[in-house]
Amino acid sequence: MATTASITLASDIMPNFGGYTKSMTLTEAGTLTDIKETTGYARRQLSAASKVDLVTMANLLVGEDTTNLSHKIFIKNIGYRDAIDKTTGVKVYINSVEVGVLYGGDWMLCPVVASDNEDIEVEPLTDDTVVLEWVMFYEG
Amino acid sequence: MATTAAITLNSDLMTGALSVSGNTTMMKAGTSADDLDQMKMGYNKIPTGTSFDLLDATAAGIDKATKVYLCNESTDETYYVTIVIDAKIIGRLYGGDWMFIPWNQDDATHDLEITATGGTNNITWIAFHEGETLGTSGD
Repeated sequence: MATTASITLASDIMPNFGGYTKSMTLTEAGTLTDIKETTGYARRQLSAASKVDLVTMANLLVGEDTTNLSHKIFIKNIGYRDAIDKTTGVKVYINSVEVGVLYGGDWMLCPVVASDNEDIEVEPLTDDTVVLEWVMFYEG
Repeated sequence: MATTAAITLNSDLMTGALSVSGNTTMMKAGTSADDLDQMKMGYNKIPTGTSFDLLDATAAGIDKATKVYLCNESTDETYYVTIVIDAKIIGRLYGGDWMFIPWNQDDATHDLEITATGGTNNITWIAFHEGETLGTSGD
């Protein structure tokens, strides 16, 4: 059983940048053993500019274990009702730090620390409705 | 062509296989027609034990739409780098792992820092951004 992620970057900003592709297999920390736990794929609709928990660490098998640090989360801003709005963004917080803003269509794949009481939080920039899809892979 | 980032994510952990894709065109913050227009990239060998600023937060980067790709190219799976933003740990990238994140330089302390463990870790990184101007030469 394996979980894999591949990224392809393309850009015309820099002349002669030939693009970039990389693949990885998600494994348990420091090993070649495939990661085994997942939240499953989920979605969350947000309609207010207030911070909410997207992932509550205490609800996962991992609980709040800072020693197992190969967890990864994928989050995608899919807009609302098939409309991708590049002007509507959602802040993402990990360990109480704002990582950045996912605008319409943006996605992120990020390693995650499961710190005590430090859930993964999201906060829309406006009250406009936006939907996030997400999945987390973690060590139990 | 603009600047795009595409992902395919596949998993057979569940009885129904998971297959997810994403493809985003990187725009300047809050715009739908103005592409990001700056980028920088690098490859660094990170000696173990010391915390380094990989990317310095700047005032020009506050509330912008910077995206960062970072890959730990180390071939030893026990090696890892710890990713820190604003002095708080985000997570670890073990040998072979990569990440792609939005990075809001929320304030001047919002540096993206890394610390290597296990041995010298080799890092590839690319930042797509906007709004940076070169400082005037002082000599």
